[in-house]
Amino acid sequence: MSAQETTKEDKYRELKLSMEVFFSNKSAVAGLVIFLFYFFDAIILQFFPQVMPFKHPYSLTPNYVNPIPLPPSKKFPFGTTYPGVNLLTAIIKSIRLDFWLSLAVVVPGAFLGVIIGIVATYFGGLVDEVLMRITDIVFSIPYLVLAIAIGYVLGRTLDSMMIALILVWWPLYARYARSVTLEVKEITFIEAARAAGSSKMKIMFRHILPNSLPPVFVQMSLDLGTIMLAISALAFIGFLPAANLPELGYLTSLGYNYVETAPWAMIIPGMFIVLFALAVNLMGDGFRDVIDPRRRSAL
Amino acid sequence: MMENRKHDSSPIVKIENLHLHYYTRRGVYKALNGVNLEIRRGEVLGVAGESGCGKSTLGRAIMGIIPRNAAIVEGKILVDGVDYLKPLREYFKRAKKFKPTKNQDLLKKVNEEMSKIRGQKISMVFQEPMTTLNPLLTVGYQISEVLFYHNPGLLASRRLARARATKEDTKNIVKILKEEGEGERLRQYLKNRNIMGLEDQIISIWRRKELHDLKKEQMILELCCEPISSMARGYLEQIEKTNSLPKFSKLPIVGRIVKRELLKEAFKKSAEFLGLLGIPDPDKVVYMYPHELSGGQRQRIVITTAMINNPNLVILDEPTSALDVTIQAQILELVKELKEKINSTYMFISHDLSVLSEVSDRIAIMYAGQVVEVGPKSAIFNSPKHPYTQMLMEAIPTIEAHELKAIKGEVPDMRNPPKGCMFYPRCPYAMPICKEKRPPLFKVGEDHYVACYLYGGEKK
Amino acid sequence: MLLFIPTLIGLTVIVFTLLHIGGTTKLLAMYLSPRLTGAARAHVIAELDAKFHFNQPIYVQYFYWLIQILEGNWGITNTPLYSGPVTQAIEIFFPNTLILTIFAAIIIWLVSIPLGVHTAVNRDKPSDNAIRVASLTFYAMPWYLIGVVLIIIFAVYFRILPIAGTVNPSLVVGLSWYHNGISYPTHILLIDALLHGDFKVAWNAFLHLIMPSVTLSLGVMAALIRLMRGTMLETMDQDFVNFARAKGVPEKVVINLHAKNNALLPVVTNFGYLVAGLLGGVVVIEDVFSYPGIGMWLTSAMLNNDMGGIMGGTLLFGLILVTTSLFLDILYAKIDPRIRY
Repeated sequence: MSAQETTKEDKYRELKLSMEVFFSNKSAVAGLVIFLFYFFDAIILQFFPQVMPFKHPYSLTPNYVNPIPLPPSKKFPFGTTYPGVNLLTAIIKSIRLDFWLSLAVVVPGAFLGVIIGIVATYFGGLVDEVLMRITDIVFSIPYLVLAIAIGYVLGRTLDSMMIALILVWWPLYARYARSVTLEVKEITFIEAARAAGSSKMKIMFRHILPNSLPPVFVQMSLDLGTIMLAISALAFIGFLPAANLPELGYLTSLGYNYVETAPWAMIIPGMFIVLFALAVNLMGDGFRDVIDPRRRSAL
Repeated sequence: MMENRKHDSSPIVKIENLHLHYYTRRGVYKALNGVNLEIRRGEVLGVAGESGCGKSTLGRAIMGIIPRNAAIVEGKILVDGVDYLKPLREYFKRAKKFKPTKNQDLLKKVNEEMSKIRGQKISMVFQEPMTTLNPLLTVGYQISEVLFYHNPGLLASRRLARARATKEDTKNIVKILKEEGEGERLRQYLKNRNIMGLEDQIISIWRRKELHDLKKEQMILELCCEPISSMARGYLEQIEKTNSLPKFSKLPIVGRIVKRELLKEAFKKSAEFLGLLGIPDPDKVVYMYPHELSGGQRQRIVITTAMINNPNLVILDEPTSALDVTIQAQILELVKELKEKINSTYMFISHDLSVLSEVSDRIAIMYAGQVVEVGPKSAIFNSPKHPYTQMLMEAIPTIEAHELKAIKGEVPDMRNPPKGCMFYPRCPYAMPICKEKRPPLFKVGEDHYVACYLYGGEKK
Repeated sequence: MLLFIPTLIGLTVIVFTLLHIGGTTKLLAMYLSPRLTGAARAHVIAELDAKFHFNQPIYVQYFYWLIQILEGNWGITNTPLYSGPVTQAIEIFFPNTLILTIFAAIIIWLVSIPLGVHTAVNRDKPSDNAIRVASLTFYAMPWYLIGVVLIIIFAVYFRILPIAGTVNPSLVVGLSWYHNGISYPTHILLIDALLHGDFKVAWNAFLHLIMPSVTLSLGVMAALIRLMRGTMLETMDQDFVNFARAKGVPEKVVINLHAKNNALLPVVTNFGYLVAGLLGGVVVIEDVFSYPGIGMWLTSAMLNNDMGGIMGGTLLFGLILVTTSLFLDILYAKIDPRIRY
């Protein structure tokens, strides 16, 4: 992208092309639709819980009278899982939690990573080197393991899990931001050297930030899926000692012990995880089609 | 073998009314809009034009190297009389909607057919020598591939000749060379002794200019007495006779030995050819990788690959544009030398008219996917007829100072080309009819044609 | 490439930092068995103080701790699976994970590369779309779900594959080369069984490996197929591929020699990230299949408040990943002739 201003007409045409490119990809549109379904679930339960007939919209309601998982029936469309939790309602509640949790990790992580990446690379020299080493070191441990370690040390709570995941995730965005910054730095350094007296910092930020946003945005949408998978994995292995948390991974772990007799207890919550990850992936792919110049104009 | 070509007067390539369109998300790019051109045997045809005029696409289309989103909408290319692109054209005419996947299937078949002649009858030199060569393979291997797949008989014959020849033979050969040089007597001797395969090895040593005569003798004396295992020998003799490769998948161990021998031989021949081209230390060079060589050397490798099988047609797509001026001059010298030695036909594509003036016999000028003028070099340079050609001539920098005039305007958007003459918007002599109809080629001189209504058709 | 040394050091710094969030007690927890009480406990604490110098400023403490680590003193682990020195635990658990990941890696490479090439060459055709859909689905599935689905199919319905542990316990009772959960000499059950000529045990061990390694590989396979497809498509557009065609090289050779080998280079580069994901998956998979490897050890440590296990595990995982990345770098340098020292 050049530093020149594009005319309003050009911008409109590009936007129209972007919409065309995205909507011509049927699977991406399907992904978007599914994503919106999760999104609305999360919004409604969060801000208008009175719409849903839940007494406890933010926690599970076990039924110890009948703890054995029951198969899907008219009363329980998705069946129940141990201990007597109605899967349909549990899943609706879990979607809300998982959605906001994923968002709560990806957005701050991306934000943090991008800012650090841009600033460190812009200043260059030692600061840049230090950043590179730090990202290298964080990458040297598998993210799940590091998240377990950090979360454990901070106390095995929901908050510590979030913090741990953010800490594990920001280097990825820092790296992205760094590569974009390096590109732009090369180009605008020469321009800025010629430009009389104007604030280099302002120019650089005006160019770097817009350029880095598209790939970061694509990565964010893909990461929503990956983070949700990570959260559910952590919940599954028992990272959170608290019971009663409506979380899809936790639900699957409840069903795990009954997998032979009541497979639905594990498969149905699992499916909802898969659905979200799938949708978000397809959507992200669609976004990638839009921003990658070669995929944009190819047939 | 080379003399036969001169007797055949039909053009080696004939392009008739070729229309080629690229289908992309941003629209349909009409890259070629009715190209009419013929390439005559033994000539050097220069094809000139700005970037985007379609000359590269044309070269590639002749080779059959087209991407899957390129549709042959109409017209044909006859390579030695054969219309290889027929399936693609038929598909387009039948299909209601153009689908690249279906095109790709047909392209596969076209590739299969054409792979028989590529590297053998027709070959191509690309623009960027660095990206043309596979960075993971030695340059020797990349040249050898062409020999291996198209001329294994020659390789087998060379190897077998060295196995059959005796010390006596080589001594006699040296004697003949000293008495008469290369000639009929040498050939007769080799034929009698069934060691014809030695011929080009002997000649390539004998012709080397930088070696002392004694050294050459010594090298020729060494061309003998190299036995081969009997297993491999049988297969090699079969390959020599049939000039085709056996199915290596069916011969696990022997196959490996045979393949290795053939490739070693190919490396040797490649080194010989490179030596003829004047590359120093060719035996070392063949084992090097592309990134270890300079741009000029790489381009010479590419040219070797294209020419080592003595093809009938060589297409050179801007072979000098990626190189600096001194290397450019060397490569041009090389091309001219090869033109003398190996009597092929050449299609030389370039945007640089001064380069074309050095090597071409005839020149064709292309604009916006069409041939707008074609004729002998002298005619094009001394009396250009098409307004575009005239402007091009004035834009060439020369030794004498003259005003460099840039051509006003831009190439038309190929998604929506004008329905009349492509040059109409920029032409200073434009007439009303130019806007309406595309001009055909009119004859304006001896073998000189122009697509312009100034020289024919209904005037006014 | 020599950068791996500062990375390893950084790894230790991170672990050390984690140990000190909340005071020195965490460090103690790594080296102190919680079962010790009273005088014995005080005695051991005094010993540890001599080694770690708890009174010194923190960066000095780091060096003493680092020395301990380098000497092989990685602390104590205290889980239902195993209690004792961490290094011993590693000796028990690591070989199992090693063979598991090797199996998975073999499956991944053997399947993904050809499939990736195939989908690129047959772009947009039905087979390409089918493979892409399947691989995307597996990519989106959590590891444990894949494992459970496989369990349901093969262990519950078809009852042909075992689902827990490395071997059927009854088979290894009383064997001379197997005690305390470790087999000798290589500690890898499958290989040792073969070395000792005991094919029954070897077969059983092999059966136990199938499901966990297949589960592990399915998730990564998806990513690798997509990666291979991407690099292959890019490579096929390059000039040298067209040039190979222009030489009349048969299409099969163009694809498999020219295109594929060049497309593999970025795959090898990016494989490091996939290995990181693979190791994360090991943690979950070993939980699902009750497979006694380092993943299971880590999970057990987490559930049982075992600092030694967690920190030891983290260090180990980091070490494995760094070593693998190093190995991949060397491999890449061998393949690409443009890289020389």
